[in-house]
Amino acid sequence: MAIAVFFVAAAIAVIGGIGVVAFHQPIRSVLSLVLVMLALSVIFLLLSAQFVFAVQIIVYAGAVMVLFLFVITLLGPARELGRGRLRYQGGLSALFVLVMLGLMWALLQGVQYRQPEKTDMNFFGTVQSIAVGLFTTYLYPFELTSILLLVAAIGAIYLSRKRIDDL
Amino acid sequence: MGTLDIGGSQLDATWFLLLSAVLFSLGAAGVLVRRNPLVILISIELMLNAGNLALVTFSRQLQNIEGQLFALMSMTVAAAEAVVGLAILVDIFRVRDAEDVDDLSQLKG
Repeated sequence: MAIAVFFVAAAIAVIGGIGVVAFHQPIRSVLSLVLVMLALSVIFLLLSAQFVFAVQIIVYAGAVMVLFLFVITLLGPARELGRGRLRYQGGLSALFVLVMLGLMWALLQGVQYRQPEKTDMNFFGTVQSIAVGLFTTYLYPFELTSILLLVAAIGAIYLSRKRIDDL
Repeated sequence: MGTLDIGGSQLDATWFLLLSAVLFSLGAAGVLVRRNPLVILISIELMLNAGNLALVTFSRQLQNIEGQLFALMSMTVAAAEAVVGLAILVDIFRVRDAEDVDDLSQLKG
């Protein structure tokens, strides 16, 4: 059962990933990415990462993608027309990506997994177990991410402010 | 050791990592091939998602929660990156049409 769920979700994710690259209209790329994220959230659930699953749907597929959609509606539809200025861009990119994929595949052939720790799998990945890690051992990085978010928010407000000469 | 027991079925952790590698490659292809800056940002998001999948997979294999915590951190970074990237993009669009990143070769505003 889990195997079937994995392969269906993986196929949807790969199809969505191809859609992100192949569609000419940005709005279709964004919707393909939403498809990838929903498929990945199912896979997170298979990996008993319930909290990451919820965050993936709420924050990623919900908030971040809506931000992308807003910007697309703001800027209007833009199609990629004609050929690029760079010669051999497509061919060289395909070559580079295939070489990288081959290297990663070769890396995965020789991967040696460490012996797993003995963890209670009923507790693993729940909100409680995430919170215990986030608010005890990793409190300092957690606080640093809040500063990062604050900096990003201030930067976005600064960049999208109304210029004086626009008035 | 790489097999994961999920609801009684045996899944190999390598499959998950292979899916992650394929998605990462697709994102890299998008960054390299596409010329619309918005689609480039979307492809970067795809690559970050693939990285998250690898983190969560290793977290499950080692039965160690730290991988999931790191995936959450990287989601925060991805959100911050999207916000700042889109703000810069909107700012550029205000000055000129930026449907092609090759047109943005001038540093002067």
